[in-house]
Amino acid sequence: MDFLDTISGHQIDKKAISYWRLSGLLGSVLYWLIPLAYYGALRLWNLPSWILYIIIVLVLLLTLLEITVIPNILWKTWRYDVSKHQLELYHGIFTKYRTLIPMVRIQHVDTVQGPLMRHFGLSTVTVTTAAGEHEIPALADEVAAELREKISVLARVVEEDV
Amino acid sequence: MYEPQRLHPAAILEFLIGNLYNLFKSLLPFIIVVFGQTDLRKGFLIVLPLILLLYIFYIIIYWLRYVYYIQDEELHLEYGIFVKKKRYINFGRVQTVQISSGIIQRLFGLVKLQVETAGGGDKAELILPAVSKKRAEELRDILESKRSLKAQKFQETEKEEEEEEPAKIFRLSTRDLLLLASTSNSIGVILAGFFAIFSQLDEIFPGLNIWEIIKTYINELAGKTITVILLIVLAIFLLAWTLSLLENFLKFGGFELRREENNIKINQGITEKKQLTIPIKKIQAIRVVENVLRKPFGMVSIQVVSLSNVGAKGEASVLFPIIPQNKVQEFLELVLPEFAIPLETNPLPLRARPRYIIINLIPAMLGTILAIYYSPYGLFAFLLWPLAIGLGIIQYRDAGFNIQNNKLLLSSRTLGKVTTIVPRQRIQSLAVSNSYFQLKRKLTTLRVAIASGEIAASKKLVGMDKEECARISKWYSEFSYSP
Repeated sequence: MDFLDTISGHQIDKKAISYWRLSGLLGSVLYWLIPLAYYGALRLWNLPSWILYIIIVLVLLLTLLEITVIPNILWKTWRYDVSKHQLELYHGIFTKYRTLIPMVRIQHVDTVQGPLMRHFGLSTVTVTTAAGEHEIPALADEVAAELREKISVLARVVEEDV
Repeated sequence: MYEPQRLHPAAILEFLIGNLYNLFKSLLPFIIVVFGQTDLRKGFLIVLPLILLLYIFYIIIYWLRYVYYIQDEELHLEYGIFVKKKRYINFGRVQTVQISSGIIQRLFGLVKLQVETAGGGDKAELILPAVSKKRAEELRDILESKRSLKAQKFQETEKEEEEEEPAKIFRLSTRDLLLLASTSNSIGVILAGFFAIFSQLDEIFPGLNIWEIIKTYINELAGKTITVILLIVLAIFLLAWTLSLLENFLKFGGFELRREENNIKINQGITEKKQLTIPIKKIQAIRVVENVLRKPFGMVSIQVVSLSNVGAKGEASVLFPIIPQNKVQEFLELVLPEFAIPLETNPLPLRARPRYIIINLIPAMLGTILAIYYSPYGLFAFLLWPLAIGLGIIQYRDAGFNIQNNKLLLSSRTLGKVTTIVPRQRIQSLAVSNSYFQLKRKLTTLRVAIASGEIAASKKLVGMDKEECARISKWYSEFSYSP
């Protein structure tokens, strides 16, 4: 069995898909500024207009991907696993990541919830080590709170310098 | 204390002022544009108080929701309006508790409490901007009493190790010092300094017109032969180089490094003497860095990665500025046995090589296309190709790893080769990834995160054999089971 393909552990909340769809839709508003800007430039200078159509098609494609396929794949590929001694994260679409974080290294645990996430009852758990942060995105509020509690307890058992 | 507490209302002022400054900074371009137009200016002056009012309202709510409390040996902080944040800091994780007071705090007889853990970033992990002095001291006592237990434990173990061998001293030979000073990269900095002085002269003496003088001078020169111009350029470079040599000679002169039980002490400098103490337990990793200029002499430098406050930026990271490559092993064994590991590496599999070549070749190809398109001599850009391929092959050759007991060595090269040595318990997290392209070739990328004061000092090795990578992550996991 291949250690990178091993998909075990907990999945994140299925509502994450709807959340990512909505946030992707809102985020893609930014992409639409590109054809808009080009359209503006088109009226000022003499530029080829076929480029505009290409940009529109590309942006449309990107928007569609963001609200259809990508949230599903993200959800399907995310796994996390908490054991007594370490936290393991698996994620990634084209590049697959497997991250190991020993409990001893965890400095503190946060839960973060933006307004959109609150609407779906989702929270993100953020784990901080001395070298940076790791996220487990979009867990149901109760699950996130429980996980934060659990990691917090496990991380405090072993005391060590840095 | 155990019930959620708000800060003193004076915190509102603190939040207001702190955020107002940031807000102003980010809106500055917008404000300038608006003020540039007379008709917009009037409207802006009406809207401004409204915005301010709204903003004050926002800060008051922010204050209302900023609460802290203690529960289960943890300091809890909850805050945020749109994004709700909860932060829990375990007492054992607290590194420093700092009590200070700025102008606002002094006006109300309050203090600011900052709690820091080893987490990165220059801001404290938990800030209570306005609490009474009594409360702050109470909190500090609670946090520190839990910590001191741990500190005592540490001291005991330290004592056991004390009766060890005498101090070990490494010095810089005059030859090495000269080599270091003459190959330091500050030539460019000094040249830039020249230009800065020139342009300053222009402002201090408006009548002088320095550029005008240079122009006439150059015009005069243009009449003369090309050799004269070349000689002058050469002279400027030589002068800059001599200055740089002198500067570094004074800075690193008298360099001496000694290992004492739990510290490394460094003395350096001729005119301005500097002393530096680096506690061994603060060292997160060691880096052996190859400089392109010093490579022909077989010299490298040794750097440390550590959690901030060891000394000034940049300087602190240099442990030993110049050392013959073949002496590194000996140096580590004597001065830093905690980091000593054979420097020979296990190579990457041959199937990882194409990636190293391609990654260098792509920019060369793009550059060639542009060059041919824009320049009549563009075809010369093809000469970049063998160079890129050569660099790729060397990068592949120098990438490698080694594990011994509880130490991991990773080496890789962009231009200069960098070898990083990190003990297992200093690896904050370990990530293995494989991209779409690596999948078929059974290759992976290994990334270890190392704690450091400012930048994330993670180190990665691209194109490791999948099985080897699995072995390393197993090695890393095992440690967390048996600390």
